[in-house]
Amino acid sequence: MHPQNLLLLRNLFEQHYILLAFNGLFSASLIEEIGLALRKHLEALSATPTEVTDVFTIYIELTQNIRHYSKKKGLSDERASGTITISREQNRYIINAGNVVEMADGEELFRRIHELARLDKLELKALWKNQMRQPRAPGASTGAGLGLIDMARKASQPLVASFNRLDENWGFFSLQVIL
Amino acid sequence: MQDIHLPGTTSTPSIQTDWQSGRVSLCGDSYPEDAFEFFEPLLNWINGYVAISESPLILELSLLYINTSSIRMLMDLFDDMESAHRAGKKVSLIWYYDAENERVAELAEEFREDCTFPFVVLKRQS
Repeated sequence: MHPQNLLLLRNLFEQHYILLAFNGLFSASLIEEIGLALRKHLEALSATPTEVTDVFTIYIELTQNIRHYSKKKGLSDERASGTITISREQNRYIINAGNVVEMADGEELFRRIHELARLDKLELKALWKNQMRQPRAPGASTGAGLGLIDMARKASQPLVASFNRLDENWGFFSLQVIL
Repeated sequence: MQDIHLPGTTSTPSIQTDWQSGRVSLCGDSYPEDAFEFFEPLLNWINGYVAISESPLILELSLLYINTSSIRMLMDLFDDMESAHRAGKKVSLIWYYDAENERVAELAEEFREDCTFPFVVLKRQS
């Protein structure tokens, strides 16, 4: 990258009030380390304990989702890498996270986000309780679909998804959570 | 049954069990990638305890950040305690939360709605 591009990148960061951004391969320990730095950074910016908890919890769900997906699919490093930004705009925290997914998975996820976006807080709570009662799939290590519902419940606005086709089989899926 | 003395890590809480007193405590953050693997030994211990011991079980939680897969495992744990309670065993739960952090209190309260055994959510002044 030419040094001049750094200014372009910086301008983009400032324009969108980005506090933290990462692009690359998430390891379990990197998720922890970035998470700890994020907590300290938010505390230094005088975020309330509840705000720190919410931003951190959503950061963990999103990055662990990306890890679980790439492990489940056995993706190459290039495809397994994720992108996350955390910004603060007009007193709201905005978390964006994205990764490369198979077209069919991306379309399915896109549909689910749209379904969740239609529900109000009470309906989301009912769905949450219902999802908790679903039997855990054998060998499944994840929250079995609880993560998206939890994020939708914590968000102050409906979740927004975007899905961009990259080629015949793959697309880039990104999700935005506004607190 | 052997007691569990597991120190906490960045992403997992410490776990202490005491067969003699029936006390079990979890303290710290809980967001392991594989919550099932992490919590399974504890669930086995608790199920063993309520099956064998005549004494009460007291679970104390001081958890801060909890990912959804840990929440799912906590539900399994509370379900087991609920079954034990319905079978006439003495089980109880105290869930501490920081006065400043309402999210943990909200989560605990939602769990409490579905439990009939003694379940106390206690504010800890920070």
